[in-house]
Amino acid sequence: MSESINQAPVKVAVRNLTKKFGDLLVLDNMTFDIHRNEFVCVVGPTGCGKTTFLNCLTRIHEPTEGDLYIDGVPADPRKHNISFVFQEPSAMPWLNVQDNIAYGLRIKRLPQAEIDRRVNQILDLMGLQDSRRKYPGELSVSAAQRVIIGRSFAMQPDLLLMDEPYGQMDVKMRFYLEDEVIRLWRELKSTVVFITHNIEEAVYLAQRVIILSNKPANIKETLTIDLPHPRSVSDPRFIEYRNYITDKIKWW
Amino acid sequence: MTDKAKRQRIRKILYWGLPVLAILTVVLAWVLFSASHPELMPGPVAVWNRLLRTFTKPIGRINLLGHAWASLKRVLSALVFAWAFGISFGILIGWNRTARAIFGSIFEVIRPIPPIAWIPLIIMWFGIGETAKVLIVFIGTFVPLVINTSTGIRAVDEINIHVGQVFGGSRFQILTQIVIPTALPHIFAGIRTSVSSGWTTVLAAEMLGATAGLGSMVTKGWNGGDMALVLVAVITIAVVGFILSTLLSKLEKVVCPWNN
Amino acid sequence: MEQLTKKMEIIGVSKTFFNEKDYFTTLDSVTFDVHEGEFLVLLGPGRCGKTVLLNIIAGLVEKTSGSILYDGHEITGVNSEVAMVFQKMALMPFKTVMENVELGLKFKHMPKAERRKICQRYIDLVGLQGFEKAYPSALSGGMKQRVGIARAYANDPKVLIMDEPFGALDAQTRYAMQNEILRIWGEEKRTIVYVTNNIEEAIYLGSRIVLLSQCPATVKAVYPIDLPRPRDMVSPEFMALRTEISNNTDLSI
Repeated sequence: MSESINQAPVKVAVRNLTKKFGDLLVLDNMTFDIHRNEFVCVVGPTGCGKTTFLNCLTRIHEPTEGDLYIDGVPADPRKHNISFVFQEPSAMPWLNVQDNIAYGLRIKRLPQAEIDRRVNQILDLMGLQDSRRKYPGELSVSAAQRVIIGRSFAMQPDLLLMDEPYGQMDVKMRFYLEDEVIRLWRELKSTVVFITHNIEEAVYLAQRVIILSNKPANIKETLTIDLPHPRSVSDPRFIEYRNYITDKIKWW
Repeated sequence: MTDKAKRQRIRKILYWGLPVLAILTVVLAWVLFSASHPELMPGPVAVWNRLLRTFTKPIGRINLLGHAWASLKRVLSALVFAWAFGISFGILIGWNRTARAIFGSIFEVIRPIPPIAWIPLIIMWFGIGETAKVLIVFIGTFVPLVINTSTGIRAVDEINIHVGQVFGGSRFQILTQIVIPTALPHIFAGIRTSVSSGWTTVLAAEMLGATAGLGSMVTKGWNGGDMALVLVAVITIAVVGFILSTLLSKLEKVVCPWNN
Repeated sequence: MEQLTKKMEIIGVSKTFFNEKDYFTTLDSVTFDVHEGEFLVLLGPGRCGKTVLLNIIAGLVEKTSGSILYDGHEITGVNSEVAMVFQKMALMPFKTVMENVELGLKFKHMPKAERRKICQRYIDLVGLQGFEKAYPSALSGGMKQRVGIARAYANDPKVLIMDEPFGALDAQTRYAMQNEILRIWGEEKRTIVYVTNNIEEAIYLGSRIVLLSQCPATVKAVYPIDLPRPRDMVSPEFMALRTEISNNTDLSI
């Protein structure tokens, strides 16, 4: 399938990313670009080294070779802002919803007016105005996860990494949250890398899908999903994309 | 690449070297401090010589090893009883609601009392013989065992008990084959605490009047202004404590092989 | 078609939890039948009531009202002909694979040689031969749940209850395990009551789907699934059914 040319400038460039644990090669020379305001999904077979890939992007692991560049310079936590959303909700239990969303903004010492503006924008976009004073413990698991997602978008990060944040949700809830994440991405013009095992989810969300090979992971193919949002999972073209990716990675 | 490899090697050396460096610093500080204030702190050489003298001129006709063994014997005999009673009692009040209702609150009251606070009462009742000392150590080791065991039993996830019920286990089978093994890491934490607490308590008990034991060596050194002897006792206490905890973690690996 | 002998009847089962100040109803008059030999899927959104319902069916938890008939007779307490596969796996970390699988038979005091033979058969059936002496901590999530399945089968149940057994696995391992469970069910036919929140999984596996509402759970609809096996998840019939059930499912924000 074709790869269309994205006109936006490159926001994140990954060059020759390689990770070895001792002699074990886990990531094998991965090179790719993410454009500004792009929504990219990364899928790969189970156990292909996705966690290591993510940990190298977030600098939990130091890559053995290669690097991550943001706006053309090596990624630097003091200069750049990379936000993550993990599979397990990780809201601060002692802060209510609005303070959780404001948390990162306060750390960055943004002016109070700007913090208020962003928090309100997020609460509006997510329909969370009514629960702004609730604590995470009073919320359902899905609502707690939404707070984290809102917090990450509020940061307006250079790169937002999401690691299968909807893995445990029921399907209907998942579609609701996926529509919501698309809404946030559109409105806030973020650059998102969304990692998942779920091929349908990847095709539902992504402008572009990066397909990883088996371990040691490298990039098998990148595929542009040329369908307008909102997408329908029973659209024949959707199913064509889904089957195509499934064939690339199927092991089960 | 070479840059990164180099950085990693440096880090590796650092994590090996730092603990050694820390110990060397302490020894160096000891040497320097004792050289400038010999009246406050005997130096390593003095302590070493004092150590040798505990064998050529035994204190109360017992050499250093004899004293260490005397203390150890008290701890071990107290531990045998404490393990037997403490673990069973902990299982009982962890598993049985009635037992918890009866003994739980009494235990909550006794639990914060430091074992050495019982010393006057025990000396009054049992004199200052071997029984009294072992009894004080027993109290000091019994309490953490009961607390850890009962907490461990109560912390067993209900789903594990459901597994036992679904697969037709009787209450006793569920207790012995599911609940107690699940609680073993907790029980082991109790055993570890009981050993260190027993080792602490025995010294306190011995310092109040004993002719043998490391605690009596401390008291003797203290009374005679013989700080080198005090330090010999202190170092022996540390060494024996270290050996005990090493043995325990070996034992834990044998008893709980699933924890790697 | 499945033969329509009623293996279990769940009649008007309700469950309310009380504490000092408050009460909370999770099940409201739930009624459905379980047919002999079928693969019945209980599909429900969110986290309300499904596990409680299974625990009631297994006799682990008391119901507030209603009754459960097994082969036409009312039962109370743990039903010894029912075995369960748990979402949280609930393997004993201190037991090897073999010891976990033989748990139920050991409780019944079956001689060691005999129970080992039976358990070996089920360990082979779930594809874990060679891992008998491994501890669960050395296994992947999918393998752990295979142990859970072998453990349930070894107890020779008439009814197998599975509580979101693959809920903690990733989407692809989940597909693999769905095929596994269908293969095992084909080889060792038992009545299965299977809970999931995943519509795709429900249609892929089930002979029938009982759709539950959100809290308090009631039965919204029952769907017989007549698609031939192996089912194609992206066929138009499958997709149409998925849309239909999805439209009828509550969204629990």
